[in-house]
Amino acid sequence: MAKRIIYPLYQLGNPQLRIFRPTFNLTLVRPGKEQPPETVQFRIPMEMTKFDVRNYLEKIYSVPVAAVRTRIQYCTNKKRNHSNQRVKRPDYKVAYVQLAQQQTFQFPDIFPEKDKQHEEGSVEEMQEKFMEDERQRQKSDPRRGGVTEWFGL
Amino acid sequence: MSAAVTSRLTAAVCRQFQRVVTVSSYAQPQSATQAFSKLHLCQRSQTYDSWWFRSSVNNRALHTSCVRRGLEEFFDLPENWGEQTVKSGAPWTAKQLRVKSNEDLHKLWYVLLKEKNMLLTLEQEAKRQRLPMPSPERLKKVERSMKRLDTVVTEREDALRLLQTGQERGRPGEWRRNVFGKTFWYRFKEHPIPWYLNSRYKRRRFFEPSHVAPYTRLSLEKYLRSKIRKEKREKRSQERLATIFPKKTALA
Repeated sequence: MAKRIIYPLYQLGNPQLRIFRPTFNLTLVRPGKEQPPETVQFRIPMEMTKFDVRNYLEKIYSVPVAAVRTRIQYCTNKKRNHSNQRVKRPDYKVAYVQLAQQQTFQFPDIFPEKDKQHEEGSVEEMQEKFMEDERQRQKSDPRRGGVTEWFGL
Repeated sequence: MSAAVTSRLTAAVCRQFQRVVTVSSYAQPQSATQAFSKLHLCQRSQTYDSWWFRSSVNNRALHTSCVRRGLEEFFDLPENWGEQTVKSGAPWTAKQLRVKSNEDLHKLWYVLLKEKNMLLTLEQEAKRQRLPMPSPERLKKVERSMKRLDTVVTEREDALRLLQTGQERGRPGEWRRNVFGKTFWYRFKEHPIPWYLNSRYKRRRFFEPSHVAPYTRLSLEKYLRSKIRKEKREKRSQERLATIFPKKTALA
């Protein structure tokens, strides 16, 4: 679990530790640098290990995992707030998961441009029209051919 | 409440069907029927879980296609990509969760966990693209539902433990006094060696030294004084109100 939880002590011969109802949250992120096609990048809680990530993905998401590598990203403590106190940006752990069975993953575009058609007489349509008129008014006269207003006439 | 229930049900059911339909091409036939038979049981996506809990079934040796089958669950339904708002129902209340069986709660936990992962990925991607996240209140709803589920499960565990063993707490502990004279509940920890061989534990003192005893007494006196003062203040205000609003006029 991600809280301050003490796990049972393990000594040789003890049963395998089972976690029911894990509180670990994985965040899939778009890689900053170009990654190989089978690599998926996650931000994971600090307490998770490579084995935890592998079991999590295999058991909960049924994603076949070949390899997991992790690193801890240290974030700055240099920024200051309005009262000159240092503000720490929290650190996080990054996991690079390579998929098995020659599977690939490409991070999709989740915010595609969508053309919205407002219905007739709605408030949004009137707002859009108003904004369009404003923009038209701001533009200079096209007949001037790009010459600024500074040059009189 | 009923409207909320039905709206959540319809939202959940619609989402169910969409997801089950998209994935049915991969799913085994028996798990699809099992999913549909269980549709009426849970308000929120129990159908989701019956095929998720099967073991990972990629029996095909050569699989070169771009697979996001499992990783698709980190993202919302493709119709919701690019929307400004996404509709979602009310969070689960503890009252509703107490009615559910342990298996249902266990499955619901994983559903909520996956939903939370999806929302976190969406949030991070929105920050990356410098765009507003659609419907950020969903995160709070999921967190609250998970918290309430946790409380319900701990309630059940506590009740079971009390009935079976009579222990009030799962983790043993005792009242101890620390170096500053304060009494606190010390929770035991598991160690592979006994305490008298544990040098770091022996350095941690669980008694107050003799020079700290006067300060304990002083802080106790302070606490008692504040308690008495509070009681006297309450009594004084009541008496003042009684003089302003005497009982005879109230009864009359």
